[in-house]
Amino acid sequence: MTMKRNFALCVVIATLGIFIFSAAAWAGPATDVLKDTVNKVLDILRDPKLKPEAAKEAKKEKLRIIYEKMFDELELSRRALARNWNNLSVAQRKEFVPLFRQILEKAYADKILDYTDEKITFDRENVLADNQVEVLTRVITKSKEVPITYRMIQKEGAWKVYDVVVENVSLVQNYRTQFNEILAKNSSEHLLETLRKKVKEQ
Amino acid sequence: MIKRLSYLALFSFFLLSGCAHNQAGSGAAPASLPQMQTVSLVQPVIAQAQERQKLSEKAAADEFAQDYDDEYGDIEEFNDVVENGEKKEQKLTIADPLEPFNRAMYHFNDRLYFWVLKPVAQVYGRAVPEPARIGVANFFSNLAFPIRFVNSLLQGNFEGAAAELGRFAINTLWGVGGFLDPASSKDINLVKQDEDFGQTLGFYGIGTGFFINWPLFGPSSPRDTLGMVGDFFLQPLSYFQPQAAASGARVFERVNDVSLNIGDYEALKKAAVDPYIALRDAYVQYRFQKIKRRGGLAIPEGGSLLGEKK
Repeated sequence: MTMKRNFALCVVIATLGIFIFSAAAWAGPATDVLKDTVNKVLDILRDPKLKPEAAKEAKKEKLRIIYEKMFDELELSRRALARNWNNLSVAQRKEFVPLFRQILEKAYADKILDYTDEKITFDRENVLADNQVEVLTRVITKSKEVPITYRMIQKEGAWKVYDVVVENVSLVQNYRTQFNEILAKNSSEHLLETLRKKVKEQ
Repeated sequence: MIKRLSYLALFSFFLLSGCAHNQAGSGAAPASLPQMQTVSLVQPVIAQAQERQKLSEKAAADEFAQDYDDEYGDIEEFNDVVENGEKKEQKLTIADPLEPFNRAMYHFNDRLYFWVLKPVAQVYGRAVPEPARIGVANFFSNLAFPIRFVNSLLQGNFEGAAAELGRFAINTLWGVGGFLDPASSKDINLVKQDEDFGQTLGFYGIGTGFFINWPLFGPSSPRDTLGMVGDFFLQPLSYFQPQAAASGARVFERVNDVSLNIGDYEALKKAAVDPYIALRDAYVQYRFQKIKRRGGLAIPEGGSLLGEKK
């Protein structure tokens, strides 16, 4: 009798355990944050009122506010510069961070802009470290599926993106290779000047 | 003929129901391992590679995870990296001894794209509706099935080979000769195995070597060039007569492909600080991940895959 009851209890606990465990493994707070942000970005990109050329600045401003919360600009810059970070003066670092953020935002907006009429699915969340996860998403178009992975870090309770991997190509690593090549032959000032020009063109 | 093909389809269904149904796409790592245990030769390599993969993933995650005293201050870890002469950052680089030639070819391909390919593809794209162009892309993809099938086999990925065989049978028979792709539908869900001979060579530990940017063909390496030659012999179009028709079909395939992907290259170029380096790095990362993730198995990071380490 007791054994039977114990057994039943075990089954209940095990079942509950599976439920709780699978719920935790399914998606985490990072995915929720990301979902919310990506939807906000898409809403702005799809908004017919913001479509005309005249509304370009207003649209940019709205996106900028979202991106500020979405991306960890310091983390992005440090990772993209890697050991070159230490070769920049503090003043140069302070100038580099917002410049690089603007370039990345543009790259990301252009990438996701191509896909605004398509479906985005949030597939999985992998834990990379205590405070780092990657969220696997897919953009499904009529002719193909494009995997986009967001690497996110939690700082002071907030989840922020520190790398975007599009079709297996990490954006941060792609920029790191470029910065490495440029800094191998040129001064830090030269790199900053190149970035200033690039941002102005946008 | 039809009868023979339906036997083939039946055969493939038999194979598939046996093992390929838990195919969870390319990302799922350990799921496909039990089946591999029969291949005793490959086994230790896989285990080792998996171990190293785990280690390197952990390293990549921990690398920058320390707290910074001052947000804009120096980062100690980076100094250590330089002092020890070691590279702690996860680095994927490729030697580029032919850079002047490669850059010249980059400009050649760039112009070829903007002056010829893109305008032609745009005219073609306006004349032919998108669903038809997707059908054409499906047809050519289905035709190139031997490349994916044979290379899956060569890499010991029997599940993948079976999936490809099934895809070919289903799409040829029920997909109107390959124009439709019912094998990818939710009910059948056979994942396309994007394998080629360059990846097979990489799987067996042959390094990328250095970067070559071919005119017309674009980013490559000695290994992937050899791969292209191997794939040429597996591509049915290569045996098409007369030769001119075969070449014409290839050009058509390319134009059709460009018409479905207008904007991709432009976006990459626009986002880049140095577009040539950006393209080269994208090629390196893309190929590396493709070889690493094939069949859900892993291969050591940075090690045997890339010949040159900086």
